Amino acid sequence: MNRRLANLALLGALCAGVALPAVAQQGVTDTEIVLGDIVPMTGPPALLGVPHTIGVRVAVAEVNAAGGINGRKVRMVFEDDGYVPSRTVQGVRKLINSDKVFALTSMSGSAQGQAALSVIRQSGIPVMNSLSFSDDVHTPVTKNIFVLGTRHPLVTEQLSAALDTRYPGRKWALISQDDEYGEMTREGFGVTEKARKLNVVSKAIYKKGQTDFSAEILRARQAGATAVYAGGVLSENVAMVKELERLGMTDVPVGISYVAQVPAIVKLMGNAGSNVYTMDYVVSLDSDKGKAFIEKAKQHLPAADVERIHRFSLTGYAGAKILFEAMRQCGRELSWDCTIGNLNKIKDFETGVLNSPVSFTPTQHLSMPELKLLKANPATMQFEQVK
Amino acid sequence: MDYFIQLVLSGLVVGAIYGLVAMGFAVIFKATGIVNFAQGEMAMLTAYTTWSLANLLGTGAIVTIVIAIVLGALLGLLCERLIMRPMLGEPVLSVVLVTIGLAVVLRALVTIIWGASPHKFDMAGADALVELGGVAVRVSQLGVIGFLLVALAGFWFFLGHSRFGVAMRAVAADEKVARLMGISSARVQAVAWATASALAGLAGAMFAVIYGLMPTIFELGLKAFPATVLGGFDSILGSGFSGLIIGVFENLVGGYVSSTLKEVAGFMLILVVLMVRPFGLFGEKRIERV
Amino acid sequence: MRSGYFKERYSELIVLTDSPTVKTWTAVLLAVLVAAPLLLSSYLLSHMTIILFTLVGVLGLTVLTGFTGLISLGHVGFLMLGGYAYAIGVTRMGLPPELALVLSALVPAVFGLIVGIPSLRLHGLYLAITTLAFSYIASASILGGGSFTGGGGGIMIERPTLLGIDLSSDRAFYWFCLFMAALAMLATLNFRRSYIGRALVAIRDNDIAARTMGINLVRFKLLAFLVSAALTGVAGALMGMYLSFISVESYPFLLSIEALAIIIVGGLGSVLGAVLGTVFIVTLPDVFNAVISMLGGRLSEMLTTSAHEFKSVLYGLAIIGFLRFDPRGLRGIWHDIRHAWVYWPLRY
Repeated sequence: MNRRLANLALLGALCAGVALPAVAQQGVTDTEIVLGDIVPMTGPPALLGVPHTIGVRVAVAEVNAAGGINGRKVRMVFEDDGYVPSRTVQGVRKLINSDKVFALTSMSGSAQGQAALSVIRQSGIPVMNSLSFSDDVHTPVTKNIFVLGTRHPLVTEQLSAALDTRYPGRKWALISQDDEYGEMTREGFGVTEKARKLNVVSKAIYKKGQTDFSAEILRARQAGATAVYAGGVLSENVAMVKELERLGMTDVPVGISYVAQVPAIVKLMGNAGSNVYTMDYVVSLDSDKGKAFIEKAKQHLPAADVERIHRFSLTGYAGAKILFEAMRQCGRELSWDCTIGNLNKIKDFETGVLNSPVSFTPTQHLSMPELKLLKANPATMQFEQVK
Repeated sequence: MDYFIQLVLSGLVVGAIYGLVAMGFAVIFKATGIVNFAQGEMAMLTAYTTWSLANLLGTGAIVTIVIAIVLGALLGLLCERLIMRPMLGEPVLSVVLVTIGLAVVLRALVTIIWGASPHKFDMAGADALVELGGVAVRVSQLGVIGFLLVALAGFWFFLGHSRFGVAMRAVAADEKVARLMGISSARVQAVAWATASALAGLAGAMFAVIYGLMPTIFELGLKAFPATVLGGFDSILGSGFSGLIIGVFENLVGGYVSSTLKEVAGFMLILVVLMVRPFGLFGEKRIERV
Repeated sequence: MRSGYFKERYSELIVLTDSPTVKTWTAVLLAVLVAAPLLLSSYLLSHMTIILFTLVGVLGLTVLTGFTGLISLGHVGFLMLGGYAYAIGVTRMGLPPELALVLSALVPAVFGLIVGIPSLRLHGLYLAITTLAFSYIASASILGGGSFTGGGGGIMIERPTLLGIDLSSDRAFYWFCLFMAALAMLATLNFRRSYIGRALVAIRDNDIAARTMGINLVRFKLLAFLVSAALTGVAGALMGMYLSFISVESYPFLLSIEALAIIIVGGLGSVLGAVLGTVFIVTLPDVFNAVISMLGGRLSEMLTTSAHEFKSVLYGLAIIGFLRFDPRGLRGIWHDIRHAWVYWPLRY
């Protein structure tokens, strides 16, 4: 029984091996290229996933309006994984094996991307990832996965350093989540804490999904904190900031991560958010580049979708655009090897929505764009650049 | 001391929200014997509908609260009539699963109609700060504690002294005998669902005012469930109190020990209490006949 | 055609089936399942694999809730513990995968015993809360476990080589899961027809009466928890192997509810019900996916924002409608079909 199973398994592996070369050209016909995208589109995480798809759709519409990539129109297949890792694996398999897409423009969130990692590695399909921020995705370098983004600990490190420069000598409180996101926040903050010898008086770790932060903020106040790094994802930061306002600590500067750099969050904070900072690598929607992007979106998409645009649309757009450029450079002979090779050679590519141009090398698949300090403005309900 | 008072006060606020939802669980259990797993989702749907209606009509705070209660009651009546009435007489677990299915539907409905983005629930004067003996509280936070106290008092009177309340207790004790006595158990159940949903809706609306209107409000249901268990499933007043107890206890643990242990501490409290009193703090001991 | 069903020996009473027809059909089904990887596409194959390891976990819940009547809301905790036991065994303790798999059954079993202790005093929903509390405590401890448990980042594992067979190909893993699922089903069926199974069902029906009949409640309730946790732990390890990645996020509370939904929709208290329920609930979202993409086509591209939520609505409505119109569950429907098949054209 063992040997038969082993033989059958070997046969299966051989068949898979024989099948591989034929797979390299999947998703490409004479007239169209099929691409896949998998993000959470249902449930609360859809707040980040759906705008990402909107950004990708703007890029697709833009490239199709210009005649497609070397004469081939681009068609997207969107898959929803509902933020559940096992559904991500299923969705990726479906995209690669059933829909036979040529490339992927996302890998969903961090735990989700990690779950799908082995399937993606095994298949060798080119992936442009602008959402997942887990370290496993880019370190060690996977031949076919490219990440448009930065290391999350680096953002925390730079933001806390920037705040320390602006508000030197403050007593710090760090409130972070109990999952991987929180671990990265703590890691980055720890680097700045050591480098600048920050006076950290309170460190609290809360359970993911918590809504009430009175205890954590009270602890911070009790310890005498005069600056806070709020390591929440979205609404947690709002709750923390409102608690600070209630306790009369409105002159305390608060640092939050760029994931919360969305207009809905500024609106929720209201006046309590007058001292909230973040660092991001996308341009502000109020800037010239941002406005140009919105104009582009209005041309191709219905108004209801344009309203949902925020920073994750910009990253989705940028990622798709880079992928299209690499594909374009291949000419009519489109293949995985050629696309990946071109992605490896991308140098100083200007996407029009990021703070800095994008470069990849064969040993560096993480684009590491430039971060700029932003401050929330309750009056305009946007984040604006500082200095 | 001020630190302690602050923690207790914020704990009371969160606990009041839990308490209102927990009372909803207990009301339905008392009248129908099932656990309504869609309680959190009903709170969320009511909160969203109230928000839309309040924005449309531009109403003030008190009218918005009334709208929340009325819409909640209507939602409860609708769910009861459409979904629970046909399931009368079916095994309890099947009915419970139907409420789970209902929860899934309501959750998706909210995201379909209103999207996944969080919104600000503006209620006139709700965010204003009030000084209470040196401690700053928001009007909305005081309001929710007040609502819980009013609900507790109201139910105490209702169950003990009003005809319909006594009828509800009769149905909970023995449904068949109650019907023999001329009580319409169908009507009692409808009222139970309407009340529970109104309570949950109020809790959901207040939660949205204090923390923001977002599609994760349904988690209230899961968080308030332990409060109902602690108080005893068939004790409405007990569930309300237990909500407050859990809210304060969790906050004290978060303030004095560590934030990571907040939720775990809440559950440990419940485990310890249940070992001593297996039917909850205020629940009635169930006598099993063999 | 038989004129009646006469049992002459005790073994005939408890045999799984006495009909050669049933045996033949079962053999055919088994042959089809074994041959499936050669016929199905990769996507459908992975779907079948998911059904198989979910079945192992659902069988665990069946032993606890279906046979013994102890409602467990926190079963996902055992799933998580099994997955982490396997991952930690393979990566941190350097155990061979076979031993790690055994560990993934043992560790949850020990915790099952601990969780079972409140069950001796609490009933119904109060017990459900303690299981829920346990699953929260389990996930909190794992998150706070530092580098031993991988904390929030999870642990990445590779597909193992079990007893000399390499499971990294989809087909080999499918056959392995099929083997484990068949083993779990046999184990549960045997459990049910043994003295222990009868004792558990007696406890479910009326535990005080069972006690007066001489059934030691302590022993059997704890045994139910132990077996249930062990089965679910193994399912957790299989799920971890499938995803090649174990993290607290892969085991959300929703899975507990889904497992409960499976055994209730399938028919409470029966292994057949568990199988039918698993197939139904796991396939339902994909069916709706296919329906929406057939109806929507290009339209679904434009409706990306809301179209996907409709799937959830349909899923919930399907569960409600199903229970509303046939509360016996899928098992009841299966019996109706079988009855009609056996007696056609007669009604009875």
